[in-house]
Amino acid sequence: MWRDSVLVAGKDLRIELRSRVVLNQVIPVAALTLVLFAFALGPDRAPMTRAAPGLFWVAVLFATVLAVQRSFGLESTEGARDGLRLSGLDPAGVFLGKAAAIALELVVLEGLLTVGVVVLYGSHVRAPGALAAACVAGTAGLAAAGTLYGALASGLRVRETLLPFLLLPVVAPVLLAGTRVWQVALGIQAGSPQDPWLRLLLVFAAVYLCLGVVIFGPLQEAS
Amino acid sequence: MSTTTPTTPTTPATPAAPAPAAEPPPTPSPRVPVVAPWSARSQRVVRWLGVAAVVSVVATVWLGLWVTPPDAVQHDLVRLVYVHPPIAWVSLYLAFGIAAVSSVLWLWPRTRSPFWDRLAASSVEVGTVFTALTLVTGSIWGRPTWGVWWAWDARLTSTALLLVLLLGYLAVRRVAGAPEARARRCAVVALVAAVDVPIVHFSVDWWHTLHQNATVLNANLSPTIHGAMAWTLLLGFVAFTLVFAWMLAVRYRIEVLVEGALAAEIDLALHERWAEGDDSPPPAVRP
Amino acid sequence: MSYIDAGYAIALAVLAGYGALLWGRRRRLERLMASAEEQAEP
Repeated sequence: MWRDSVLVAGKDLRIELRSRVVLNQVIPVAALTLVLFAFALGPDRAPMTRAAPGLFWVAVLFATVLAVQRSFGLESTEGARDGLRLSGLDPAGVFLGKAAAIALELVVLEGLLTVGVVVLYGSHVRAPGALAAACVAGTAGLAAAGTLYGALASGLRVRETLLPFLLLPVVAPVLLAGTRVWQVALGIQAGSPQDPWLRLLLVFAAVYLCLGVVIFGPLQEAS
Repeated sequence: MSTTTPTTPTTPATPAAPAPAAEPPPTPSPRVPVVAPWSARSQRVVRWLGVAAVVSVVATVWLGLWVTPPDAVQHDLVRLVYVHPPIAWVSLYLAFGIAAVSSVLWLWPRTRSPFWDRLAASSVEVGTVFTALTLVTGSIWGRPTWGVWWAWDARLTSTALLLVLLLGYLAVRRVAGAPEARARRCAVVALVAAVDVPIVHFSVDWWHTLHQNATVLNANLSPTIHGAMAWTLLLGFVAFTLVFAWMLAVRYRIEVLVEGALAAEIDLALHERWAEGDDSPPPAVRP
Repeated sequence: MSYIDAGYAIALAVLAGYGALLWGRRRRLERLMASAEEQAEP
């Protein structure tokens, strides 16, 4: 399973390196949402700085939808999906591979967005470790849930509108928890180590990674 | 070829065997697979379920609105406790629970059967109505209590998210496709949502209690129950559970009939296509 | 009309309405299937 996942992840990332769709389109869209939020919250910095954690995670959520759509769009050409299924690769491995590729792309995006938030909204990073931990844990969960639903929606004609409608409510806890951690890490809210938010992100990621590993195979059967 | 073959609700209808090209069939009427009529016993059970539901709901309304005393704190507003929590319980634990368990049973190869898929779909649809009602009654209860039509309290927020998850299931259900593929997709959606619901509950709950300006929003909607109120509340739970059960049964039957009608149309189309080859009289009027 | 009455009324109306909808659909489908069965046997 692990070997297959590395294979699939490598394939997806290589395609990305060559086509640079995430780099050239998804990341700019996410950065654009930061700018649009600035327009919406209006020229004073104070409301922006206060809302920065939430805005960051909302941008990440939208970017996740795009990244997932891109990841499964790679196989929308004739027979590519069947080819993947018939290739004998372990479906759990395919799941982990695709999720890993998406996660990696998202982490890169988050790094750039963090810079954007600091620059555009004037946020002060107090606890970079917590920021990074929240990003990694949150991204893992987002990628897992996204890959699961992405596979479900791929091949359907309504997939472009169905995927956000399915995925966004499910990952709402990630938005909630991630925002909370970031609020503490950016010094906007006081927080204590007893706050369970980071743990929630880890639980979410673990739950959806396990679910995906178990259910990806049955999902691919004759769909 | 001229007789209809009744099929039981749980097995899919099989298409008619093609007429041999060499000789025309003796009677060209299409073999329409018929869904077995609801057994007399099932009909009686469901009918009594409906009667019991109506009676208990009427009793709950009568007790709730007139017989039970007003609360010391909430005065007459407490009467909504006989309606809102029962409906919420039905929508979250009963409807969603049935949908989740049915989906798991469908996905597991050893227990797979169209019964579970139909049950899950029926439960989700009826559950959506109940969930929407939970939000509406909760909002109505909140308005005079908190002064706003909507407050982001833990319960309402979780329920709102649950509603969106259910609507997602219904959207996936509406996507055209082979029944088995559709059942598979829906089962996965139900499972993903089922796993999410407890996470959402905890996160929204902590969102409130750990927030520095936590208000006593939750306290106001949970009055102390005693005496006659407790019995009425219990009756309310029973009443709305019966309503749900009746609706679930009827919705399930509708699902069976719709599948049968669909299979009949397909069968008819197939027969017409095969009959195109010979010059026997056209088949009977389409149902 | 007080809030309580409104709450009860809406809840009961929606449930009654949906129940009637379900009941009507079922009856219509049962009739459809019955007539299809009849037509298939001339």
